[in-house]
Amino acid sequence: MNEFDDNEIARLLRLKRYEQPPPAYFENFLHEFHRRQRDEMLRQPLWRICMERAHSLMLRLDVRSLASYPAAVAAVLLCAALISVKIYQQPETARVALQSPPVLSVPANAEEELTLASPGIVRIRTQPLRSFNESAQTHRAAAPTRYVLDSVPVSYEPTFRF
Amino acid sequence: MDQPRVDPDQELVKRTQSGDAGAFDELVIKYTPRLYGLVYNMTSNHEDTNDLLQDIFAKAYRAIRGFRGKSSFYTWIHSIAVNMTLNFLKKRGRRFQLSLDDVDASIQNDKEFLESTATSSPVREADLSELQRRLNEAMMKLSDEHRAVVTMFHIQGMPHAEISKILRVSEGTVRSRLFYANRQLQNYLDEFRKNPVS
Repeated sequence: MNEFDDNEIARLLRLKRYEQPPPAYFENFLHEFHRRQRDEMLRQPLWRICMERAHSLMLRLDVRSLASYPAAVAAVLLCAALISVKIYQQPETARVALQSPPVLSVPANAEEELTLASPGIVRIRTQPLRSFNESAQTHRAAAPTRYVLDSVPVSYEPTFRF
Repeated sequence: MDQPRVDPDQELVKRTQSGDAGAFDELVIKYTPRLYGLVYNMTSNHEDTNDLLQDIFAKAYRAIRGFRGKSSFYTWIHSIAVNMTLNFLKKRGRRFQLSLDDVDASIQNDKEFLESTATSSPVREADLSELQRRLNEAMMKLSDEHRAVVTMFHIQGMPHAEISKILRVSEGTVRSRLFYANRQLQNYLDEFRKNPVS
């Protein structure tokens, strides 16, 4: 009598591949799967459904890539803020210089220098009295103003010769 | 040098992970017939198979966001199917119902079937329905783990390496289980041949 050997058994078992459900089963399986998914979802509490929807929406929008946009906007705003601070700082000091009244600085021995008894070159040192705009127009703005007086006073009377 | 195998389902998996439910539908359509055969031959019951298959895909859909692609989707979904079926069988115990009228009519035209029945073998002497019933009984006498290996190897035609990945056991264990299961089936079917009426 023949006995079932391994090959025989393998061949017999392969016949079981033909044990299949009706053809319509596989067509309806996906619909059934969707129906069960919906039923399961309806049994879940509302907050969990909302969480899952939000999670899937975030995944669909690819939040990781979108996260770079706020970072870029923040960087641009920071740069703009730094630049604006730099720009507005300089005019602020200029305005202060304009508003400060011109200081007339008279040397301590100014009275002696101004007496007629000691004719000569009298130097009156003053702070520049010109406005900011005027000083900006000349390259000598920073230099102190010098006034030169003649050693002989000017007279309109005729000179008498004896 | 071996090139790393590209998972043919990678694109569908990525689309599913990014929220495209339609991509998962395509995976369901692709794997339903194959997983049906796996689960059915482990449970021998169409109703249980249908319910289990729905649960398997539902679980896969919930878990697919955590799928990192360390194995192929094929291996991953088969692992879920085998584990869930084994858990189900443990709960169900030894209760089962045989489905005796499910052989597709196309089997009558199948070359392999015709060859099997034409040769001088014990198969020729057996009626197809009776033979199937005996085969199902023999299968159900195996332990769940042995039946899983027999189903994957003989019925589904998977290689040992793939089965070992799915079951997370060594290939040696797969071969050992297969050898033992074959002996069990052989003994049972020999008894049937000797005493066909029983």
